[in-house]
Amino acid sequence: MSTKPRIASAIAGAPADFGSVMSHTPNTTGKFFELYGEFWQHGVVPAELKEMTRVRNARITDCGY
Amino acid sequence: MSWIESANAGTPWEAVLGQRPELLARYRDFYRTLWDDALVSRRVLELCRLRIASIHGCAQEWVIRDAEVTLNDAELGALEQGEFSGFSPAEQVALTVAEQIPYAHHQITDAEVTELNRALGSPAAVALLTALAFFDVTCRLKLVLDVDQLPAELSEPPLREGALV
Repeated sequence: MSTKPRIASAIAGAPADFGSVMSHTPNTTGKFFELYGEFWQHGVVPAELKEMTRVRNARITDCGY
Repeated sequence: MSWIESANAGTPWEAVLGQRPELLARYRDFYRTLWDDALVSRRVLELCRLRIASIHGCAQEWVIRDAEVTLNDAELGALEQGEFSGFSPAEQVALTVAEQIPYAHHQITDAEVTELNRALGSPAAVALLTALAFFDVTCRLKLVLDVDQLPAELSEPPLREGALV
């Protein structure tokens, strides 16, 4: 799997990182970050446990990002 | 019957996700944008959603249909078999990537993403890749939570009367 962005940034002059590439779909991306923020900012699962599972999932899926 | 206690809701899926009403609301708001934005045709979304459901053996997702997309028995059979030659070139490009999302995402090549980008354009390519990731997530969630099957034909996917199916 490539570790270089495969789709150009949607923001002129900005590097092609996750946010700038996802900005090709601003409506979906905005709603995604609202959802993702809900995971992290609220809820009944301790933040430490969520962080452990996030890092473990990144390792299992070999996600260098 | 899911082993997660159900909240009062219109569908089995919402009954389970309803354990966290704020999360359900944001999941619903996000997930429907994959269709509402209309960057990718509903037929391509439907083909990819069903192929990913088939790969996962996710009956809860397979029995759902977009009412505005007509797929004949041969096409449904082809999706179950992973045989894409009967679909249009653009549909094949999308299905080739969708095929790899559940268990072979590392095998997706630069060339395949380049071809997707060329065929659809960058906004639609990003929209489709996001949709594929969440078709995959949704199947995994439905299977792990053991949500009941609810056959449904949706005029407003993924919602029926405002509820996630």
